[in-house]
Amino acid sequence: MFPRMSTIIPMLTEPFVQRALLAALFLGPVCALLGVFVIARRMAFFSDTVSHSALAGVALGFWWGFAEPTIPMVGFTLVVAVAMMWLMEKTDLLTDTILALLLSGSVALGVIILSLLHGRNYQGELNRYLFGDILAVGWEDVGLAGSLLVVVGVGVFLNLSSLTLLAAQEEMAHVCGVPVRRLNYLFVIVLTLTVALSIRLLGIILVTSLIVIPPAAARSLSRNLRQQIILSIVFGLLAGAGGTLLACELDLPCGPTIVMTCVGFFLLSLGIGKLRQEKTARAGVA
Amino acid sequence: MSAACCQSHNTTPVEVRDLRVAFDGQPVLRGVTFSIPHGQLVALIGPNGCGKTTLLRCLLGLQKPTSGEIKLFGQSNLKLALPRIGYVPQRLALDRSFVLSVREFLALRLRRTRNWFWQSRATTDRLLHETLADIGVEGLLDRPLARLSGGQLQRVLIAFSLLTRPELLLLDEPTAGVDTPGEESFYGLIANVQRKHHLTVVLVSHDLSMVYKHASHVYALNGVICCEGTPEHVLNAESLKQAYGIHVSPYEHHHPHAH
Repeated sequence: MFPRMSTIIPMLTEPFVQRALLAALFLGPVCALLGVFVIARRMAFFSDTVSHSALAGVALGFWWGFAEPTIPMVGFTLVVAVAMMWLMEKTDLLTDTILALLLSGSVALGVIILSLLHGRNYQGELNRYLFGDILAVGWEDVGLAGSLLVVVGVGVFLNLSSLTLLAAQEEMAHVCGVPVRRLNYLFVIVLTLTVALSIRLLGIILVTSLIVIPPAAARSLSRNLRQQIILSIVFGLLAGAGGTLLACELDLPCGPTIVMTCVGFFLLSLGIGKLRQEKTARAGVA
Repeated sequence: MSAACCQSHNTTPVEVRDLRVAFDGQPVLRGVTFSIPHGQLVALIGPNGCGKTTLLRCLLGLQKPTSGEIKLFGQSNLKLALPRIGYVPQRLALDRSFVLSVREFLALRLRRTRNWFWQSRATTDRLLHETLADIGVEGLLDRPLARLSGGQLQRVLIAFSLLTRPELLLLDEPTAGVDTPGEESFYGLIANVQRKHHLTVVLVSHDLSMVYKHASHVYALNGVICCEGTPEHVLNAESLKQAYGIHVSPYEHHHPHAH
């Protein structure tokens, strides 16, 4: 069932496996690191909306004649993310309403354009983006993922205190001198770029899980934020790399396999966390 | 601290002149004027929707007034006054899935502990120690912030706001969600801290009995300042009716004490 060393090593000589594995090794920790702040700020639905809006970006890219629609996809998701922020700031609409509106609107637009372009055969193209396609990961995607890892890693650790204050209370962050509005927009833009660049590997539907599940798994085993951040990154890294290798070995779709690896880590840490709690409670009673 | 004290004696901590704020054309503050001298514990009372929180947000520079003027320590650019201000909110927006410990939270406030991620616990504790001993939160340092009781969280928020040794402390209904004994000890703590550090404190509160006991000056707000003065002067049936628009029982003052 699980890959053995003897099968992993020849597999690693395949260029498409190398590309997918490197992309997963870069994107797993980035998603998991941002995820700590995404779940703290209850922004999982926000990330889901951004990822779904990518479908319209992809469809528009094909329509405009792009063979590889990465640029229109990233561009469109950024427009949707900034539109979301603007609507939240300037209107009385509930956040959920804004997100649902943009999510379903983008998906509908994307499906209509794809069906106009490909006729009744648009589902094949749609599936590649909905669930990810390991063969679609090119060297330029790997380069972008690597650059993202460096930029996000350095950016988050340089602004760790400000991001943490922002997650705790915006007014307090303001009093402490944090440029709240600027940092909010910056965080949303970085999150959007990460989501958009992870879609090739994981797919529109599944990308949010690599952001949300590692920090949720880390939570059960952490006593403080430092531990949660470190464990989340480790889970992201292991789920990304382990899931990709499993998918290649077992000939399974890559995105869903990475997600199920994340779920496995989550269940494991939940169990360990509960056992640890019971042990502490028993020690307290004794 | 002493240099800051001398400086603050020369400038009034809070001056507000004819402050007006409207939301969608609906006036919330309709010409508020007051000033708070150094070293007072001032309470801002009034019914829901009277503009207390809007006024506090204006003082923090989070809400742009429609017209009027605010000066903090003689400074119209409120951003420049922020380092001299401590702020205690009603609550934090923390999700329980965010395992921020009290130690890490407190470390966010000081420049020298802002690298908490890379610092050892002992180093962070040593740098935080001086203020923590005052407030009595040393026993809570390892606890996750999102799992504290209302009273414990308020103590931590006070400790957080005092770390930079502010001259002006702004508190927005700080005991919402805290039980009565917790409230009593919280207000006692604020009064102690105010005396010890010669702070100016502005407290938005619903709790008239605590205001009566601890405040040195009270402003009753209802779009405008309806009345102001000592707690004995403001917290009587007539003044409260002016502020709240309905009859509110004044606080019965049984125990004589000096304010």
